[in-house]
Amino acid sequence: MELGICHLYPEALNLYGDRGNILCMKKRLEWRGIDVTVDGCDIGEKRDLTKYDLFFIGGGQDFEQEVLLSDLASGKADAIRSAVEDGKTFLTICGGYQMMGHYYETFDGTKCEFLGAVDLYTVGSKTRMIDNYAYEVDNAGEKIMVVGFENHSGKTYLGAGVSPLGKVLAGNGNNGEDGTEGVRYKNVFGTYSHGPLLPKNPKLCDLILQTALVRKYGSCTLEPLPDDFENLAHDSVLEKVLNHTIA
Amino acid sequence: MSKPDLFRSVLAVAACKAARGLLRLRGSGGTAAPGKVAMFFAKNILERTSAGMDIIVVTGTNGKTTTCRMLEHAVTQAGYPCLANKSGANLLSGVTAEISCNADWLGRPKTKHAVIECDEGALKQVVPLIHPKVIVVTNLFRDQLDRYGEITHTRDAIRTGIEKVPESILCLNADDSLVASLAENVPNKVVWYGCNTPIGDQKEPEVSDAKYCIHCGAPYRYHYHTYAHLGDFYCPSCGYHRHEPEVAVTKVEEMSASGTAARILAGGEEAKVTIGLPAVYNLYNAVAAIAAGMAYGLDRNGIYASLKDVHSSFGRMETFRTGAVTTQMILVKNPAGCNQALSYVAAMQEDLAAVFCLNDRTADGHDISWIWDADYEMLMKAPHLAKIYVSGDRAEDMQLRLKYAGADPAKITILRGDEKILEMAKASTLPVFILPNYTSMLSLRKVFSDATGGSDFWK
Ligand SMILES: [Zn+2]
Repeated sequence: MELGICHLYPEALNLYGDRGNILCMKKRLEWRGIDVTVDGCDIGEKRDLTKYDLFFIGGGQDFEQEVLLSDLASGKADAIRSAVEDGKTFLTICGGYQMMGHYYETFDGTKCEFLGAVDLYTVGSKTRMIDNYAYEVDNAGEKIMVVGFENHSGKTYLGAGVSPLGKVLAGNGNNGEDGTEGVRYKNVFGTYSHGPLLPKNPKLCDLILQTALVRKYGSCTLEPLPDDFENLAHDSVLEKVLNHTIA
Repeated sequence: MSKPDLFRSVLAVAACKAARGLLRLRGSGGTAAPGKVAMFFAKNILERTSAGMDIIVVTGTNGKTTTCRMLEHAVTQAGYPCLANKSGANLLSGVTAEISCNADWLGRPKTKHAVIECDEGALKQVVPLIHPKVIVVTNLFRDQLDRYGEITHTRDAIRTGIEKVPESILCLNADDSLVASLAENVPNKVVWYGCNTPIGDQKEPEVSDAKYCIHCGAPYRYHYHTYAHLGDFYCPSCGYHRHEPEVAVTKVEEMSASGTAARILAGGEEAKVTIGLPAVYNLYNAVAAIAAGMAYGLDRNGIYASLKDVHSSFGRMETFRTGAVTTQMILVKNPAGCNQALSYVAAMQEDLAAVFCLNDRTADGHDISWIWDADYEMLMKAPHLAKIYVSGDRAEDMQLRLKYAGADPAKITILRGDEKILEMAKASTLPVFILPNYTSMLSLRKVFSDATGGSDFWK
């Protein structure tokens, strides 16, 4: 088995620690003997996006997102929208997550048109939602507790046809209002958990990898890995986040 | 000054001194609290207690403390008593404490000269009150992302500060595209410093903090890199480019663990200068100090001479004698600085033990994501890395990062608490290298100083 990963805009969208997600997906495939290739695709680069199974889009600084809108318009936007409809797997984070939606409306009313690949939109707010947080993902009955770090001033609202990725346990999530976090649409996973989300959430990482492998090979069972360090890191943050809320 | 104002400032200064005295009696550093007390009595007390002083302010992400030490030493060696906020209390409250505690009972400064380290975000509050003669900006890297938002916001915050003091001379790092942009459209006199030669790892960084032109968004190109996003940059699209520096490293002649010899251009002449500190980033700190010292009015050769006996300060890189071997402590708080420290440890020839301490308190930034951008891989591959320890509030995250960097999980041990690290260092037969982030360094340093007879940091 093998999986082709495309890291979209690794230079332009590379807020702290996004590299950790790519590293995590790659290693967890390699540790199981599954071949993996990772290609970056940056501004100005033309690649055939149909040959990839899994796409990763990270977070970026406001300024740099403007830079890449024109690049999207030059062809990548169409390719991304068809890949989504085709059931390809996406992990999109923070700025990358917002970019999958219809638009971003800044606090002063300027509207920035985005991909419209997923039915959601984002509105800028004055407050920044920053801290460790936790949410619960329901994967066909199995509850996965996810811990991460959110840092966004945009509030994201989901359309009728899409589901949240999870339910906020502590922190703000999509907008700090409706208790939802992230999005799940077809095989798109979107979340505000920026930076190294996957290393200390091995179950979420495996769910994403499995989704991509099932789409490609029909069925697939991932062998368990020794996740001692992963679980220690996960549990220590979860405890911190949950206790913090109670106190 | 009206009578009530005078009364308030007398009170403020007295309260500041009393608070510091009490805190020291209790054996704590007490660096910012006296300032808060003083500001309670007179909000802008700093303006009065610094009036008439000649002050150099140093800001930027990395190298603030070392550049300050170099400048303070140069001013002192030139024969002038010099005030400095040594403890790293570099917010408005800390600067207020340092300067106001030094004032006489009427709130007039007792010292003419000062070198002040200032946090990037606090600059706009501090400089309008103290009217610095010189402002040095060292560099801008991503640091404590959750405190300032994004790196261009940090740059804008510094800019806001500079706009309030058009009379201050700016000393700017010509090799940093973000710092260099601070010179645009301000009336301030600017002195540029930098490296005219490709020093450092000269690699194009895997994760750059300034990849795209700040003016037009096109990717920068470089004639050469020094480290991280620093180097001889230019924008092929709009023409924004590095400014030729007046003070520059032109050649590195010798670099060892104890220091560096380099040729330095300043005042139109080249000279050989010896700096008592290792590593590339200290060369940048040295040219920053030379540029600022000259702008301040110090004699060039006097500054050169003083650089020879500047030694590591306050945990940036400090050695403790612990039992049979030594323990070196190197502060790391962002990917650029961490990579420098990692390559320093990776270049050692003998077997060693390494300790990685990671806290996530307010002064560190709650977001520890940056550890995934630092190149721990380069040290984990080194065969002389015999033992690995992790510690701090986020020890588990650190441990996981090291696993992914290729460390043998069996080699890693979690140590809970500074005392455990001290015990390990005392018993170790291998030299110990500790890479703590900011608050873990503060507490560790106290434990190590107490145990080995080092001096407390606020002295
Ligand atoms: Zn440009």
